[in-house]
Amino acid sequence: MLSAIAAARRRSGLVLALPAILLLLAFFVVPVAALLTRSVTEPEWGLQNYVTLLGSSTYARTFFNTFFVSGVVTLVTVLIAFPVAWALAIMPRRWASVIFAIILLSMWTNLLARTYAWMVLLQQTGLINRSLMALGVIDEPLQLTNNLVGVTIGMVYIMLPFMILPLMGVIKKIDPAILQAAALCGATKWQALRRVLIPLAAPGIASGALMVFVMSLGYYVTPSLLGGTANMMLAELIAQQVQSLLNWGMGGAAAFLLLVVTLGLYAVQLRFFEPKESR
Amino acid sequence: MLLDFNKLGVWKWVLTGICTLMALFLMLPILFIVALSFGSSRWLIFPPPGWTLKWYAELFADPRWVGAALTSAKIGVIVMVLSVVLGLMASLALVRGKFPGRAVLRAFFLTPMVLPVVIVAVALYAAFLRLGLNGTLPGFVIAHLIVALPFAIITISGALEAFDPAIEDAAILCGASPWEARLRVTLPGISHGMFSAAIFSFLISWDEVVLAIFMASPSLQTLPVKVWTTLRQDLTPVIAAASTLLVALTVLLMIAASLIRKGKSE
Repeated sequence: MLSAIAAARRRSGLVLALPAILLLLAFFVVPVAALLTRSVTEPEWGLQNYVTLLGSSTYARTFFNTFFVSGVVTLVTVLIAFPVAWALAIMPRRWASVIFAIILLSMWTNLLARTYAWMVLLQQTGLINRSLMALGVIDEPLQLTNNLVGVTIGMVYIMLPFMILPLMGVIKKIDPAILQAAALCGATKWQALRRVLIPLAAPGIASGALMVFVMSLGYYVTPSLLGGTANMMLAELIAQQVQSLLNWGMGGAAAFLLLVVTLGLYAVQLRFFEPKESR
Repeated sequence: MLLDFNKLGVWKWVLTGICTLMALFLMLPILFIVALSFGSSRWLIFPPPGWTLKWYAELFADPRWVGAALTSAKIGVIVMVLSVVLGLMASLALVRGKFPGRAVLRAFFLTPMVLPVVIVAVALYAAFLRLGLNGTLPGFVIAHLIVALPFAIITISGALEAFDPAIEDAAILCGASPWEARLRVTLPGISHGMFSAAIFSFLISWDEVVLAIFMASPSLQTLPVKVWTTLRQDLTPVIAAASTLLVALTVLLMIAASLIRKGKSE
């Protein structure tokens, strides 16, 4: 009887996954592969698109913007997220759940709504500039939109939940007895933080940071609204090549580079951080 | 010591302070747009000189905004249904099936989540140009289904893994056919996972911007596309009104999702 059950299961295994597999093959794998192929076939066969992309200074600026902004966003996100995740992991439950709800709300609020809010807040006559001028910190409004400052603020806002939530999980799993031991051995709070807590949380910090960095590299909406056309990032370059210039070869080449970097960094993540988390 | 909140001394207040500031930072833009949507200043002066509902009136009087919202809702509901059905089938295969390569298949199903959306958007845009699907309802549904499906599979297969297959076996031993056991024993057992998957899938489609920007046509666009195109022209308070409604819907769905989770744990 039980073997009959097992046989029924085996039969119905793969067939059930077929619709999803076919959908992804037809509308995900084939289109992405076709796009990447066009990078070496249009306008003619060869690697000329990659040569242009990696050789010209205009594109070099785009690559610099992309990696620079992603790096700064990652750094700032880690610096804010670590103390917050730490506090959330040990706070009384009631406070923690309020902050937790705020994090989830901001995470699930429409991306455009959040970006719109920052565009209004950061503009020349916006609340931030007016408040700073009223407080006497600055005399003239700061230029906070249409440049990389605006992009960085907007992106940190979006990435924070993605860093806080996993990091909180990692800190919660650390055995408090280890830190008690450090205290018993005479470690000051700073020593315990620097030599025990941070090293123990390091795998979580590194894997969260990598994820934020990778997500930032390919971001489209926030950089194009807060950064303006003069400060283009990689995702905008891909969109612009395809939409405005109809240059599918270049668009495909830029997409390929983004894809390689993204998948490469995810491979690093899987290779070095996943096994440690499943301890 | 560092992991005991009450023994942190001064650090307790430093951490609490940082947490509070961060919570304010996260809440500020959301509260700000809600306030602006009721403010009477067209130039978005804050605090507003007076309060009004005229931006909402303008929003609902404009057939393009209303049409975009209806389109978004329609696409969202179709994506929700398809995503749960396909996600359930795929999860059954991944969790209960016995065939080689299940781990690889699982990774394959999750790849659309990992790739930058802009790549998927450009690739689909090119494919849809050939197939004539840009600016059509099926086009939007397919595009959103690709990004919603991984979330549905994660949620449903998680629920399925937590559901003991022995219960299903027991039903079969008691005379149910394998399909009957699945339908009447397993499905009710994982219904909370399916509800969560439905809510997530709808929200993902409802909020999706990048794919939609590429495939939208002037005659058929979703609400985020309408916000996007308006936003590129000016920062009118009508967008604040639309955003506020989006936030309200998100809050409602989040409450629904957490009620489902609570109902499950009781």
